[in-house]
Amino acid sequence: MYFPISDVTVSPIFLAGVGFVVGLLGGFFGVGGGFLAGPMMFLVGVPMNFVVGTDLAHMTGKSIVAARRHRALGHVDIKLGLLMVIGTLPGIELGARIIEGLESSGNIDLVVGLAYVIILLVIGTFTGWESLRAMQMVRTERTSAQDALAFQSVTRRVHRFRVPPIISLRESGIEEISLWLVVGVSFLTGLLAGVLGVGGGFIRMPMLIYLIGVPTHVAVGTDLFEVVISAGYGTVTHALKGNVDILMALVIHTGAAIGAQIGATLTRFFAGPRIRLLFSILPFIGALFVILRLLGVMKGY
Amino acid sequence: MDSSDRRLLVRNIVIEVLLYSMLVVAYFALVLRLLAEPLKKLFDSHLVLYAFAALALIVVQGAVLESITSFLLDRLRLERLE
Repeated sequence: MYFPISDVTVSPIFLAGVGFVVGLLGGFFGVGGGFLAGPMMFLVGVPMNFVVGTDLAHMTGKSIVAARRHRALGHVDIKLGLLMVIGTLPGIELGARIIEGLESSGNIDLVVGLAYVIILLVIGTFTGWESLRAMQMVRTERTSAQDALAFQSVTRRVHRFRVPPIISLRESGIEEISLWLVVGVSFLTGLLAGVLGVGGGFIRMPMLIYLIGVPTHVAVGTDLFEVVISAGYGTVTHALKGNVDILMALVIHTGAAIGAQIGATLTRFFAGPRIRLLFSILPFIGALFVILRLLGVMKGY
Repeated sequence: MDSSDRRLLVRNIVIEVLLYSMLVVAYFALVLRLLAEPLKKLFDSHLVLYAFAALALIVVQGAVLESITSFLLDRLRLERLE
C-alpha cells in the first residue's frame, strides 16, 4: 500500500503486524513499545523523521484506554502527572527541534540511529542484570521487601537534593520532594521521547520508582497518563513539522489494540522476574535492526 | 488458574482476534482508501489543521475500537480479557 504523506510503499499487513507485536509486548511487559516499532519501521524504509512522529501518534491512541483503566483503579497520581508535564513538554519540543535540525543538516539517520542503539543497549543490559539479580534473590529466599529496601537507599540519596520549592505527593506516599527533581526527570524523558519517537515509559518507569520513590503500581498508571499527554503533544508538534504519517499510525494502531489485550492476558501465565529477563532480550533485537539498517545490510528489505 | 478458565481465556482470545481481523480488513478496504487523498491534501496545504486532525483521528480510533470490541463482547456474552 502506498502512503502518500510519507511517500513510501509498505504492506499494511506488515504495519498491523508490527502494531500487533508491539501491542502484545506492551500488554505483556507494560511498555509503550516505541523502542521496537521505531526500528522496525526504519528497517522497511520509512524515513527517520516519519518514524519518530508516526510512532508517537500510534502510541497516543494505544495509551488512552490503558490510562483510563488505571485511573479507575486509583493507580494514577494526577498531581505528579501534571507536574511532570512542566518538564516533559519543553523536553519534547527541544527533541523535535533537534530532529528538525538534524533533518536539514542531513545527519538525522546516523545520529538518531546511533542514539537509539546506545539507549537500547543500556536498557537491555540494565533489565537483564536487574532480573537476574531478582531471580537470584528468589533462589536465596530473600523477600521482595528486601529488594525494595535496597533500592530505597538510592531514592533516599536522590531525595537529599532539596532545592525549593518542596512539594508533597500524597497519592504516591511522598511527603517531601524538590519540584526540580520531578521537573528534571520529566524533562529528560521528554527530550528522549522527542528525539527518539518513544513514549519514554521504559526510561520514566525506573526513574519514577528508583529516583522519585513512587510505588510501582502508581508509577505504571501515572506513566501511562504521562504518555497520553507527552505522546499526544509530540504528535501535534511533530505533525506541525511534517513528521507524522497519520494513515500509517492508524494502521499500526489497529494491530496494537488487539495485541495489547492479548499481552495483558498472557501475563497471568508468567512470573515477574522471568518476564523482565525475557524483556531484556527485546532492546538488543531492536538495536540489531538499527545497526543492520545503518550498515546498509537490510536496506533492500 | 484451572484448565477450564484457561480454555475460556483461549476461546475469548480467538474470538476477539477474529472480530478484530474482520474489523481491520473492513477498515483497510474502506476508511484508509477514503481518508488517504483528503489527508494528503490537508498535509500539503494546511499543516496546522492536519496536526490537529491527526491527533483527533488517533484518539477517536482508540476510543471507537475499544467501544466496538466491548459492545461485541457484551453481545456475545464474553468476559473481558484483562
